[in-house]
Amino acid sequence: MSESPRPARRKVVTDAVREAAPVLALLVLLALATLLPPDLAGVALRLESADRTRANGMDAAFDRLPERALVLVAFDADLGTYAEIRPVVRAAIADLQGRGARLAMVSFTAEGRALAVAELSRLQRLGGGVEEIADLGFAGAAEAGLIGAIARIVPSEAEGSIVEAIRSRGADLDAFALALVVSGGDLSVRSWVEQVLPRVPDLPIAAIAPTFLEPELAPYLRTGQLRALLATLPEGLAYADGVAAADGGRTASVGAMPMLVGLLVALGLIVQSLMAPLVRQSRPDRWRRIG
Amino acid sequence: MRRSLTAGLALATGTILLLDLLILNPSLELLAGGLVELLILLAAAAAVGGAATLGAHHLRDLARGGPDRWGAVTLVGGMGLILVAGLRPGSTGSSDPAVNWLVSALLVPIASSLFALVFLFLLGAVRRGLSIGTREATVTVAAAGVMVVLLLPIGGAPGAGLATAAAWVRDVPLAAVFRGLLIGIAILVSVSAARILLGVGSADD
Repeated sequence: MSESPRPARRKVVTDAVREAAPVLALLVLLALATLLPPDLAGVALRLESADRTRANGMDAAFDRLPERALVLVAFDADLGTYAEIRPVVRAAIADLQGRGARLAMVSFTAEGRALAVAELSRLQRLGGGVEEIADLGFAGAAEAGLIGAIARIVPSEAEGSIVEAIRSRGADLDAFALALVVSGGDLSVRSWVEQVLPRVPDLPIAAIAPTFLEPELAPYLRTGQLRALLATLPEGLAYADGVAAADGGRTASVGAMPMLVGLLVALGLIVQSLMAPLVRQSRPDRWRRIG
Repeated sequence: MRRSLTAGLALATGTILLLDLLILNPSLELLAGGLVELLILLAAAAAVGGAATLGAHHLRDLARGGPDRWGAVTLVGGMGLILVAGLRPGSTGSSDPAVNWLVSALLVPIASSLFALVFLFLLGAVRRGLSIGTREATVTVAAAGVMVVLLLPIGGAPGAGLATAAAWVRDVPLAAVFRGLLIGIAILVSVSAARILLGVGSADD
């Protein structure tokens, strides 16, 4: 007599649900955590760094800009690490626009271009009366494209008042009062220091980078080759919170509660996984039976 | 012969670019600019070649009825969609609104969702790594556990203490290892470049 396929199918479904249950529970937990206030049960949470040295450095770099300054945003973040720097990048763009700077965006990597396009269309959707950012497009070939852009950064088909202002200043990197480099794994501000600074020594460079680039970039800040650097989430958020406070909270920040919940889940799993072999050793018979 | 040609090309190109960096000369600048343009073209050709190979591989898979037919359909369909949006008559190419919409409304959210799964995959990898029971996995996971504790977003004096400790780990041991790696890589690249320029191969070792 053959077995009915229904119980077998039900078992497959039950197994799949059982396997997916922890992941779904984690997602629900993270979603709930976004709704909770940051000071639940009297425990004050703080994501942003208490040390505002780097945040003040970025403020100072922007303070030095002349009125209606042309600022180049070199957008070469990568999809893997952009989530870490996204709130800081958005805060910096809002800050520069709030100060009246005229922004132009360019990318030298494909991932950077994709993210830049997404950010530009987000800003377009938001509107808000701020001047539109000039899109200088995609200059491929990473470092070679960067060197090529030193002498000619404006594509022939680009148009608009900001583009015309760049053209009237020579259409090269010298036209800008500041380059804000959004760094990623494929092309970081290190390439700018190595390739652009020797050729355009008067161009001030500030950078936003994910944490993994911090050890590589920090020396450039100490030598003055970088005017400002935000390269960890806490110091980036210290800057972003300052911008949010100044613009009345229009710039969104990151919730500390979901971060805490995620880290606690990870920690719990690490501890449980580390302890499991010890527990197994202390109770060998029971584990053998379960296994 | 082939080796000396490569070495000669590398030497000539490197010298011209270096001289352009050191000396202000319009002719030299023009020559170096031309070389950089060539390099950009080469990189673009490599990218197009890579994409064409990928497309051809998946089209072949589709024609043969390979096991990952839906994957191949998705990839070839996606490539076709972007190509049509960027190359159709009247399109402005990579900055065309249709291309921008495909990138910002589909590509970036899908890729971001995939990267968001890294957290879950990492947790799974931790469990599997420790279940194998190697010493390396235990040390790595234990170090990750310590870093997770240091990164907990807690306010007040305990939070400040954790943040100070995290900054010390980043600025001292991590930076030392990272910079050591960078210096090592730089030395290796220099040696390798010198070997190419001098025409020294593995047969000469």
